[in-house]
Amino acid sequence: MSPEPKAVVDVWHLRKQYGDHVVLDSVDLQVQQGEVAAVIGPSGAGKSTMLRCINLLETPDAGAITVAGTTVDTGRSVRAKDLARLRRKVGMVFQSFNLFPHLTVLRNITLPQQRVLGRSKVEAEARAMELLTRVGLAEKATQYPARCSGGQQQRIAIARALALDPEVMLFDEPTSALDPELGLEVLTVMRELADEGMTMVVVTHEMQFARDVSDHLLVMADGGIIEQGHPERIFAEPAHERTRQFLRAVLDR
Amino acid sequence: MSLDYVTTILQGVPMTLLLTFAGLGLGIVGGIPLAVLRQSRIWPVRTLARLVIDLLRGIPIIVWLFIVIFGLGAYIQYDDVTLPVVLGLGLISSAYLAEIYRGGLAAIHAGQFEASTALGMTRLDTMARIVGPQIARISIPAAATYGIGLLKDSSIAFTVGVQEVMYWTNDVARTRSDAIGPYVAAGLLYIVLSVLCAWGARSLGGVLRRRVAR
Repeated sequence: MSPEPKAVVDVWHLRKQYGDHVVLDSVDLQVQQGEVAAVIGPSGAGKSTMLRCINLLETPDAGAITVAGTTVDTGRSVRAKDLARLRRKVGMVFQSFNLFPHLTVLRNITLPQQRVLGRSKVEAEARAMELLTRVGLAEKATQYPARCSGGQQQRIAIARALALDPEVMLFDEPTSALDPELGLEVLTVMRELADEGMTMVVVTHEMQFARDVSDHLLVMADGGIIEQGHPERIFAEPAHERTRQFLRAVLDR
Repeated sequence: MSLDYVTTILQGVPMTLLLTFAGLGLGIVGGIPLAVLRQSRIWPVRTLARLVIDLLRGIPIIVWLFIVIFGLGAYIQYDDVTLPVVLGLGLISSAYLAEIYRGGLAAIHAGQFEASTALGMTRLDTMARIVGPQIARISIPAAATYGIGLLKDSSIAFTVGVQEVMYWTNDVARTRSDAIGPYVAAGLLYIVLSVLCAWGARSLGGVLRRRVAR
């Protein structure tokens, strides 16, 4: 018997607004251990903002966020220690890769391990090389990021996040800045990660990936989750009119 | 016709270089805290830093030097004016460098801060290890241009009695009927020094920037 599934990510009544514009309105989200949650929806729906609230890159205006037992409640003042502990459990991959251009590929992956987890240089390098090998880029270790293609840079960014042993990985449109072929190498790495049981929240426009790889699909529009459930079910028979409209636009082209 | 005055003028070169490099060096270091304060989240700190920068940059160097040497000189006994002049040039340079750093900071992609924060790096680590080195590299050309300007501006120190190139030039020129020779020689000397400094800065910048193809 597998143990009771527990939510690694638990977002409660999340609210975010910029001035008068409400970007997220009372969003609830639960992601179980080992689950891959895909978030789709039209641009401006608040997908990225929700993702960025999970590791508090954006400060929510209301609500609570729990990641692997660490809770940050926006109602109370956030302690720096809790913030650091929560971020340590969350890995994030950005649309624009955001590798550090002044550091070699290897150093991009070892520096955070040494500074955040206090690993020794030797430990950090061993872990970095293991991950680079896993994403197929061991030979790039001594290069600078500018010498790598977009797809390679994104795989390096994934390795950099994984090196900190996160409980959950957030992907913010990881293939949107890549041409289709390079995007595929990144999706392959993500698929392997999902197969190995990593808990993932993926904001994406890759419908194929959302349908085939995710266990749970969330459709967002106008600052809220309008529909969620098993991807097969939603793709086959969307319940919400807005979902139907969106899927028609992205699938029938 | 002899060029013996050239050796007299050359005596001033070490002092000119000292004023330039000490002033620039102090500015490179002093500009960092000033730039950090300029970006402070606390608005009175931010405003104060901005006022200091505007004050230092708004008043011409010659006026600053007269204030420090002749103005404050009435209250403070200077054994040697070199030190207060160097400190004054360093302070003014700090303000210019702080603004150069600020321009460099503006050129850094927001994603660099986000990635560093998301990885759990502290604000200090983010500044010192991720963003700072990138700002430094971006700032090299502007800092070098400023340094070459300072090399020439250091001639103003002659007016308060510092024995740099212009001091010795004037010294020989006064004893001659044809003053044109020494002054033209001084001009050529500044050109040579500027070119050498520009060349040095370019090769330094090239070494550092080769790593950061932006």
